[in-house]
Amino acid sequence: MKTFNYLRATDVDVALQRIAVEPGARFLGGGTNLVDLMREGIEAPETLIDITRLPLDGIEELPDGGLRIGALVRNSDLAAHPVVRGRYPFLSQAILLGATGQIRNMATVGGNLLQRTRCLYFYDEASACNKREPGAGCAAREGFNRGNAVLGTSDACVATHPSDMAVALAAIDAVVEVRSSRGTRHIPLTEFHLLPGTTPHLESQLESDELITAVELPPLPVAAHSYYRKVRDRASYAFALVSVAAALDFGADGRIADVRLALGGVATKPWRARTAEQLLLGAAASEDSFATAAAAELAAAVPLPGNAFKIDLACRTVVAVLRRLTTERSGS
Amino acid sequence: MTTVEAGVAGGVGTSPKRPDGGLKVRGEFAFSSDLWADDMLWGATLRSPHPHARIRGIDITAAVALPGVYAVLTHEDVPGAKRYGLEIVDQPVLAMGEVKYQGEPVAVVAADHPETARRAAARIVVDYEVLPAVTEASLGVLLRHVPIRTGDPDATADVVVTGEYQVGMQDQAFLGPESGLAVPAEDGGVDLYIATQWLHVDQKQVADCLGLPAEKVRLTLAGVGGAFGAREDLSMQVHASLLALHTGRPVKMVYGREESFFGHVHRHPATMWYEHGATRDGKLVYVKAKIVLDGGAYASSSTAVAANAATLGIGPYEVPNVVMDASVYYTNNPPCGAMRGFGAVQACFAYESQMDKLASALGLDPVEVRLRNAMTTGSRMPTGQIVEGPAPVADLLIRVRSAPPAPEGSGDLREMPGGVSNTTHGEGVVRGIGYGIGIKNVAFSEGFDDYATARVRLELIGGEPAVLVHTAAAEVGQGLVTVQAQIARTELGVERVTVATADTSVGSAGSSSASRQTYMTGGAVRAACQAVRAALLARVGGARLDGGKVLSDSGAVIADLASVIGDGPIEETVEWRHRPTYPLDPVTGQGNAHVQYAFAAHRATVDVDVELGLVRVVEIVTAQDVGKAVNPLAVEGQIHGGTAQGLGLALMEEIQMVDGIVRNPSFTDYLIPTILDMPPMKVDVLEMADPHSPYGLRGVGEPPTISSTPAVVAAVRAATGKALTRVPVRPEHIVG
Repeated sequence: MKTFNYLRATDVDVALQRIAVEPGARFLGGGTNLVDLMREGIEAPETLIDITRLPLDGIEELPDGGLRIGALVRNSDLAAHPVVRGRYPFLSQAILLGATGQIRNMATVGGNLLQRTRCLYFYDEASACNKREPGAGCAAREGFNRGNAVLGTSDACVATHPSDMAVALAAIDAVVEVRSSRGTRHIPLTEFHLLPGTTPHLESQLESDELITAVELPPLPVAAHSYYRKVRDRASYAFALVSVAAALDFGADGRIADVRLALGGVATKPWRARTAEQLLLGAAASEDSFATAAAAELAAAVPLPGNAFKIDLACRTVVAVLRRLTTERSGS
Repeated sequence: MTTVEAGVAGGVGTSPKRPDGGLKVRGEFAFSSDLWADDMLWGATLRSPHPHARIRGIDITAAVALPGVYAVLTHEDVPGAKRYGLEIVDQPVLAMGEVKYQGEPVAVVAADHPETARRAAARIVVDYEVLPAVTEASLGVLLRHVPIRTGDPDATADVVVTGEYQVGMQDQAFLGPESGLAVPAEDGGVDLYIATQWLHVDQKQVADCLGLPAEKVRLTLAGVGGAFGAREDLSMQVHASLLALHTGRPVKMVYGREESFFGHVHRHPATMWYEHGATRDGKLVYVKAKIVLDGGAYASSSTAVAANAATLGIGPYEVPNVVMDASVYYTNNPPCGAMRGFGAVQACFAYESQMDKLASALGLDPVEVRLRNAMTTGSRMPTGQIVEGPAPVADLLIRVRSAPPAPEGSGDLREMPGGVSNTTHGEGVVRGIGYGIGIKNVAFSEGFDDYATARVRLELIGGEPAVLVHTAAAEVGQGLVTVQAQIARTELGVERVTVATADTSVGSAGSSSASRQTYMTGGAVRAACQAVRAALLARVGGARLDGGKVLSDSGAVIADLASVIGDGPIEETVEWRHRPTYPLDPVTGQGNAHVQYAFAAHRATVDVDVELGLVRVVEIVTAQDVGKAVNPLAVEGQIHGGTAQGLGLALMEEIQMVDGIVRNPSFTDYLIPTILDMPPMKVDVLEMADPHSPYGLRGVGEPPTISSTPAVVAAVRAATGKALTRVPVRPEHIVG
């Protein structure tokens, strides 16, 4: 690990001023990902600004029925929050299906959004990786790519976005609040992460001098009937092969009146499945309509030899979770 | 004379509390990675990034220049033998002109801080000329071929089933990475504190490489965090000793998790072709098999692995005609060697898959077809060896079959495929049941001079009789320290037993592997206790010991045990051997190669979400003959742990190799079962005494690993109808 300076920030403005003049600095939240990457030599910030003492750890109900979540709220606390469990159950589930209890107790909301891929080639410094070293190439394409993405990929990068939480947030249309000494911005979560394109090292809209201060959830009645479903190789502590965040509601005519769908484990960013949503909206709830919508969403998928199975598995998972939501709604 | 003391607490057949148990649960046990000397340096290793390359030059200038660096050593600094090896001396201490696998050590560094040592290693410039790598066993250089021929090679049968099966590269995945502390001694030698499986085989190899006589290389066992075969070969033993001797300072080396994946051998990947011929009523007529094992870059224990695969390769069945060829090849993959059940694990997946296929072809129940062919005492192995001890193959099968069926799920998500991952809530779930039975040899085979040494001292401490047991046998977590004390209590009737730390100041105990240590070191401790007892009785002309008294033939009390020992302590050292084994004929594979066979059977019940390809093993029932459960709780622990390792191989564990490069060297990417993946188990322990072994016991550690894998896969096949010819089985193999 490279040596680094360590500072502890006690005031947001001071932290922002500091990072504005020190572009090589990084904010340190729970450290569950950044410290790992520093140990591996993948990240080497000159300065760490510890922000864990900043007053950004509150969860506040908004007058419109939404929720404002401080960037430093620990994953475990967010998952356990009664409003989250009641109004956005798939968010709570997504968090609880990520990582381990120990990691969730440390990891923060803001940090989760900036979590970097677990692509095996990103972690192997001996391998070519455009994300780690722009222009170096992508060894994953020709290598063991079972865990890599099929959606949103480019010639330069097929790394999967690893977050579970962000998949649910994408379905919710959460908004990320970021601050810098230049001011405050609000970025829809679905636009917060960038597709790799030719610049896979650029992963989000966050500028180097900006700090995520909060995530806001809009009121979303459909989310009360939601599931996060995760398909993985073992029962706990494994990244998703495929995950689906889904919410579904029906109108008086029995047709789908509202739907939210997002995919994890298969895409280079938390993948809002808008194509599928559009096909489902107003459709009758049936195996056929679910399968058609899933297939349409995955039609853009570009498989590699090791991960082609994910296309079918993703379709199956979407159908299964929509079926379950339908069964529960008609049963209630 | 086998006058065993009855009535003493904590003897053979009981489960006394193990001394390391509480410490480990509380996180207070001192593992080898916790070793410390105040003035020690830290070692680090530079490893090859290439699976095959010529080394044109090594420039250590920049590494040596780093402040805090005390030594940078290459192969030129190895004073003695430049190579070592368990069976074949072929592995360089540090690479000489060529590297043959990714992770091969090239240079070692000692520095005053571990980070400094790592940075110095990174500054070493190695000029590599990358060479083509052989990464397919079938394209490699033959290391050993073991043929077995019995009966008519051209036998024909009514019903024939064939299949090709593959086993991926499994890792032992012990939790305590390779680590140790080498301390230079005033006599020019070195004292090495090390987590290993066999102190004396380490001692010999280290001494040879250092160019020192064995007595100047003294090893003491440090706290071992699991082994499973991965500590049979040397890792950092010579490196740390070299650095200590060069710097005159104690040197500690601890591998990180990633480095550990490169620091030890793995289970041999295997490709296996089988043809089973049977009569219409399900009696096997012949088996033809070809097993190809990837041995990796260096021999390690490959020759023994191939022999096991061959000699045990048709399973615990009577087959009159066998054509078996097991071969292991050198490649540029990581060296493969010992791992729990070696050779037998791979073959069992193939032959048990074949038995299921045969049952299906015959329209028979899978257990029934096994019962019709089950070997028994007196059966003849394909090597010609007669199975002399109990071979309750049919009994084990019937026991697991007759256990009550696994309970239906309670609806708790944790019991469903995908578990808490919130996948199926019961819909699309299909239950399947599968069986497996396996056979394993116990202890070393093929004429190896297999022995263990024990020193036992009976003395008075504070006026009370006390026993000191001293062996070099490695406690690797299996409970051997406890077992040695139990045996001494039983043999000498003395409760107060101390087991000294294992070191090389007593003779070799052989390895804690091949399910042999309770048999071998247990046998040696028992024999040494018997010698002590004989000397004790001789002192006063007694006939036996009972309740702390020496009795005459007629049962009259001659003396108090304490008063007899009061004349001076009694100490005996015994070197104990099992019955001899013999080499295999190199052409026919005939020979009494093994000393004891052990058997276990498994029944696995799985629920499969056939829509998403997820498996939940809901119950495992197992029956195993252990001859004598010397420590019933430890026996159960071995069976639980071994079964879990077999489940891991069935469903998730595999080192991913791409062109000779390990792609998942971490516990984030190499998955092993968690507690949520392991089902409740029913364990049925049989005690059918082997007349040739101490207390009739039979090695316990390996059999549970062998048959759990095929049982789990058979259950998944039953639920899905898929062929599943390769392990581990992944979701895509089920839905694909």
